[in-house]
Amino acid sequence: MRFLDLLTMSVNNLRRRKLRTALTVLGVIIGVASVVIMVSLGIGLNQLMLEMYSSYGDMTTVTIYSGSRFDSGSSDSDPMYLTDDVVEQFKRLDHVRGVSPMLSVYVMLKQGLYETTTEITGVSQEYLENIPLGQGEIPQRGDPMKLIYGNCVIQWFRNSKTGDGYWDTQELPAVDFMNKPMFVIFDMDAYYQSQGGGESGVKPPKKYMIEAAGVVEGSVDDYNNYAYSVYTEIEGLKAQLKQIFKKRPIPNQPTNKKGKPYPYFIYNSAVVFVDDMENVTEVQKAITDMGYQANSQMEWIEQSQQTYDMIQLVLGGIGAISLFVAAIGIANTMMMSIYERTKEIGVIKVLGCDMANIRNMFLMESGFIGFMGGVIGLAISFAVSYAMNNFLGLGQAMMGIEGDISRIPLWLAGSAVVFAIFVGMAAGFFPSLRAMKLSPLAAIRNE
Amino acid sequence: MGVVRYSHDETGSTAVRYREGTGLSERKEEQGAVCSPLKERVPIIQVKNLYKIYKVGETKVYALGGVDFTMYRGEFCAIVGPSGSGKSTLLNMLAGLEKPSRGEIVIDKIHIEKMKENELVAFRRARVGFIFQSYNLLKTLNAVENVALPLSFRGMPRRKRNEIARKYLKLVGLEKQMNHMANAMSGGQQQRVGIARALAVNPRIIFADEPTGNLDSKTTMEILKLMRRIVREQNQTLVMVTHDNHLASYADRQFHIVDGKIFKIEECRHDEEEEIK
Repeated sequence: MRFLDLLTMSVNNLRRRKLRTALTVLGVIIGVASVVIMVSLGIGLNQLMLEMYSSYGDMTTVTIYSGSRFDSGSSDSDPMYLTDDVVEQFKRLDHVRGVSPMLSVYVMLKQGLYETTTEITGVSQEYLENIPLGQGEIPQRGDPMKLIYGNCVIQWFRNSKTGDGYWDTQELPAVDFMNKPMFVIFDMDAYYQSQGGGESGVKPPKKYMIEAAGVVEGSVDDYNNYAYSVYTEIEGLKAQLKQIFKKRPIPNQPTNKKGKPYPYFIYNSAVVFVDDMENVTEVQKAITDMGYQANSQMEWIEQSQQTYDMIQLVLGGIGAISLFVAAIGIANTMMMSIYERTKEIGVIKVLGCDMANIRNMFLMESGFIGFMGGVIGLAISFAVSYAMNNFLGLGQAMMGIEGDISRIPLWLAGSAVVFAIFVGMAAGFFPSLRAMKLSPLAAIRNE
Repeated sequence: MGVVRYSHDETGSTAVRYREGTGLSERKEEQGAVCSPLKERVPIIQVKNLYKIYKVGETKVYALGGVDFTMYRGEFCAIVGPSGSGKSTLLNMLAGLEKPSRGEIVIDKIHIEKMKENELVAFRRARVGFIFQSYNLLKTLNAVENVALPLSFRGMPRRKRNEIARKYLKLVGLEKQMNHMANAMSGGQQQRVGIARALAVNPRIIFADEPTGNLDSKTTMEILKLMRRIVREQNQTLVMVTHDNHLASYADRQFHIVDGKIFKIEECRHDEEEEIK
């Protein structure tokens, strides 16, 4: 028997009992919709959490601190400094895409009346390229030292005459990073000594004019990972520092046991870029095993993820119960239908309809009930999901950040329909076997 | 009318059958078997020592107690007997709807007594037409679809099978009711559709179980003559079960059955062909 003929017969049989078919389909609709909505909530919560963490910082990075930076001499072994050699070692680890050392220097920024003390962090070119800029451009490799300002840095500036800043006046200082020159004082010791009444005989240190390369994207009030920092390319920074301090020790760089500075730079921290979120934990462990202190967002995410997996399981389970009830409904409908059609099944058997065809006809009927329930249930799920996301603001209420609480990805939509068909066919399986085995003699009997 | 050819081979026989027109001319069958002159009798149903025993509690009830007979191609046979005589049981077993307890049934050279159910279904699909007492048309289908239904079980495409169905509906005189739904027709019309359905598969044998049992006497005569005319024209074998001796007298041979045994076989020649037409 041709597939199309079989399908036509099945659909005709369903159309014959419209109300009963509709009620059975309704059961599946409720089942499918509850499963899809519950799972979509689970997915939504999980992704909201990930979004929340990623707003705190990149999730594929591991940050390494050189823990023993300032207590040299307390032990005999060499302290675990983060040097270029160590950075090279990190680069050779599996799954590591790149490593950026981070070197912080404490400086004063001056523009006109306004000034502030802050840290400039030297990072690799690669790191710079990950910073989303609102204005300007990432400096090219080999450019002279340029600064990238966080979008909130402007808040730190104070009027040097009145001493008032943004926090006192609620007015943004008239600082323009991009268009006016910024002066940077690197030698803060000398600066403070020269400020001390002018009697100490120390000359005020030299100010360097350093160009801005760009400002991080976002308004003054938007927090992000880069908002309060000033970045520059690390090689440029190192060159600048060497030029300024010459043979003198560079402030904040540790010294050896004799009090002499090391001939190389020692970094405050380093950031390791991992190729995939899933490998972050592995890389972090490798670095910890090397003796360094390492942190990543993954530690927190993994814990939360377990919680949310649990929530998703519970939600999905609740939905699955109603789908199970719907499956019982389908089985019941099919049984009733077979009792009613005993004679008809007998007739088509006498007329030579293959037993497998009879079974398939009933399987298709129940599968079709599942399919209709699946499609309509999915449509309802999308509607409910849309309503939850746009009118209830649950995301804000539950997680504290903006975002959709209910998300139906394509795989969920697709598998919901497929699963509904499967449930329908599974529920119709035993009834269809029963139909197949009905005796053709039923057709001969005359009632 | 064109050449209708089919080569569905469900029973494993290699027979390929051609049919030309409504024709009497029928080229056939196994290689080497030559169909010799007009009135040679080719056996189509052979029954040997057939028993059907039901167990009711401790006692055995013999529905059929040792039946032997042969039916020939192109014959109109009637199985006649009072109710409870075992005539319906016999028909059911000939059509492969029930299994015999003992004995052999050979139809068209094939033993069917040991076949499995799905083999029997395939056997019926390929060789047997069935006419029921209560018509048993599918209520959701119209006349054409009902007649085409058994052809759809053979996997025939819709257009082709509807064409064949229309041809047979014309043959039974239902040109005007082709698209009527089954339950919008009178009993006589429904039974005509039933006959067309049995004929549409171009079977070797047509079984009819009290085909006129639900009809009035006038319609009964029409239906009976129609069946006889068509099987004559197409050289098919018609096996009809009835309890009515008068109806049975329309058959070429009457098998009288009483208490599960063949009581007598009566032959009657119908020379008055004008009456049939």
